[in-house]
Amino acid sequence: MVATEISPARRSRPPLSLPPGAWRLALPLVVLAVLFAVLIAIHPRGLAVASMTPWANQAVTLAFVAVGQFFVVVTRGLDLSIGAVLALSNALASELVSGTPVEIAVGVVAVLAVGCLCGAINGAAVVFGRIQPIVATLATGAIYTGLALIVRPTPGGDVDEALSDMLTYETFGFFPTSLILLFAVVYLVWWPLSRTVLGRSLYAIGSNESAAFMSGLNPKRARLLAHVLAGFFAACGGLFLAFQTLSGDASVGFSYTLNSIAAVVIGGASLAGGVGTVIGVIAGAYLLRTISTIMIFTGLPPMAQPLFEGLVLLAAVSVGAIEMITSRNKLKVLR
Amino acid sequence: MNPLCPAKVGLLATAALLLSLVPVTAADTYQPACFVPAPNAKTIQTEAKPGPCRIALVNGFVGNDWRINMIQAAKAWAAIPENKAELKEFKIISVGNDVAAQISALDNLIGAGYDGIVLNAVNATSFGPIVKRAKRAGVALVAFDNVLDTDEIVQVNEDQFQLGEIKAKDVVERLAGKANPKVLEVRGLPGNSVDRDNHDGMRSVLDKVPGIQVTEVVGNWDTGTVQKVVADVLATQGQFDAVVCQHGCAGVVRALIDAKMPMIPIAGDAENGTRIIMAQQGVKGLSAAQAPAMSAVTLQALIAQLKGEPMPSLVSLAIPAIKTEELKDGVNYWTSLPNTFYAATSFPACGIDFTADQIMSQTPDNT
Repeated sequence: MVATEISPARRSRPPLSLPPGAWRLALPLVVLAVLFAVLIAIHPRGLAVASMTPWANQAVTLAFVAVGQFFVVVTRGLDLSIGAVLALSNALASELVSGTPVEIAVGVVAVLAVGCLCGAINGAAVVFGRIQPIVATLATGAIYTGLALIVRPTPGGDVDEALSDMLTYETFGFFPTSLILLFAVVYLVWWPLSRTVLGRSLYAIGSNESAAFMSGLNPKRARLLAHVLAGFFAACGGLFLAFQTLSGDASVGFSYTLNSIAAVVIGGASLAGGVGTVIGVIAGAYLLRTISTIMIFTGLPPMAQPLFEGLVLLAAVSVGAIEMITSRNKLKVLR
Repeated sequence: MNPLCPAKVGLLATAALLLSLVPVTAADTYQPACFVPAPNAKTIQTEAKPGPCRIALVNGFVGNDWRINMIQAAKAWAAIPENKAELKEFKIISVGNDVAAQISALDNLIGAGYDGIVLNAVNATSFGPIVKRAKRAGVALVAFDNVLDTDEIVQVNEDQFQLGEIKAKDVVERLAGKANPKVLEVRGLPGNSVDRDNHDGMRSVLDKVPGIQVTEVVGNWDTGTVQKVVADVLATQGQFDAVVCQHGCAGVVRALIDAKMPMIPIAGDAENGTRIIMAQQGVKGLSAAQAPAMSAVTLQALIAQLKGEPMPSLVSLAIPAIKTEELKDGVNYWTSLPNTFYAATSFPACGIDFTADQIMSQTPDNT
């Protein structure tokens, strides 16, 4: 009986319309495409290597951090320490990622491992300490910032220049290597994981934790995984920033925490958990950074940048509310 | 191709070859009276580009009076007809405190084929790759105010040690051999390198005076804080013979007025408010500061470099300082303008002498 009551609405959907929730991915991609077209139109160089590589590079760090944030958000959490983990990995990278190729490789692995460890500590505080994610990560974030300052009290350090050039210039002379790096890392980590029960349970516990639990999924393990992933991707961001600047700075993290949340929401994920896509989130990060590049070439006042970002964010959240307005069963939305 | 600065068309391919460092002695640099070579500065000379050229100013943070006056001064410079003739395009960008955003802005401008860029950097260490890329693309990059850890490009600044030194010298002169003088030193933000250099400069002069007694207070470069700490020290230690002060020195004068003490020699900053109150109270002393108008000198240095002139890798500007006897309303301070306006608007050795109207008629916006 219950099933037949829900199904008429489904059946009445016109055959050509998008599947439910598809707009969450489509919207950021379409807006990004429009902004990208605007940028190409107003950039003095148009579509050229000289305009594309800076465009690709500038959002990679934020995209990594936002993807990390997304995994926590999808489990209905929030990681306020993610900027601090980025800063810590950036500071560590400026100490470790130089020297012989072996030293560099060890350095990169060490930085990523520290990122994962930070994430695991967050996860443990949330899962075993039963502390709210916001509170737990607020505290651990302060600790990581402190560690970053101990590692690198003043900006500076040394990062391997050859590797930096390789990652921040172009492949085949025209395609920004940083984009390849971003998609390769995200694909290699998330694709295999998304085929496993553990990977899928990230969405499940964000969507309805008790249902997921009763279906035999392990919410604790999923939540722990989400935080480790967040730490890992924050460390990727910290590493890339080190390659971009050839130095480390313990104070870079602050703006990334809030911007990553903004990118996640703009990218179509819901802060209520359970929905969103990695691709949408990457698009969200690029969308935010593309706005700032457009502002450079249009000469809009710098003070208006946060205003525009805020408007985009508000629009993204408002679009999310459409679901609520159009839903026949409000309880479904409110849960 | 870039129709705006035709010489660049053929040059881009061989950009790296164009940037050759020519070893010449410091005395050989262009206009050494204005672009004073710092000790140990290298000489940088690049091939001349026929003007008019496209240049840009990339700033970080924009939310304080110094930065706003700095951008206004840059625009005022570009509005002067003879400078205007050198410029095909002048773009101004403020990006905020994010390193990644500033790097991206610079990359975009280098990519867009600008001939020269002046930079007030977010930090001193993160721009190594940008210096390299600018060089590769044949773009002249000139940094100022927050200078970078490099001697590969031309940079413009005031020597903060020297700033402390000239303030202390003025005060010592005015004390004229007074036996065992009691001097108050008002410091800036603790832990900052500018505070350290100012302090070291002041002490290098003061400590040589026989029998001198120096008392230090920390004023955080803030007029209100300065007034409070000076009031406290006057209450506990009584009269001083002179004051050397980094910034926010209107607070020193106000504290003296409140304590009903006679005016003593004060060497302080060059904010309009400080000069107004110094003039009103007939304070004897000196007014000197890191002047935001250095953005204009930096643009002048950039144009010189683009013309192929030999430039020092670090310019140590003559510090704009005036004795309080020379203060004149409407000339070097303005009772009609806000206290926070930076009244040091001229670098005479560089031919830069803005009126307040010239600066205040410009907006701090991006262009």
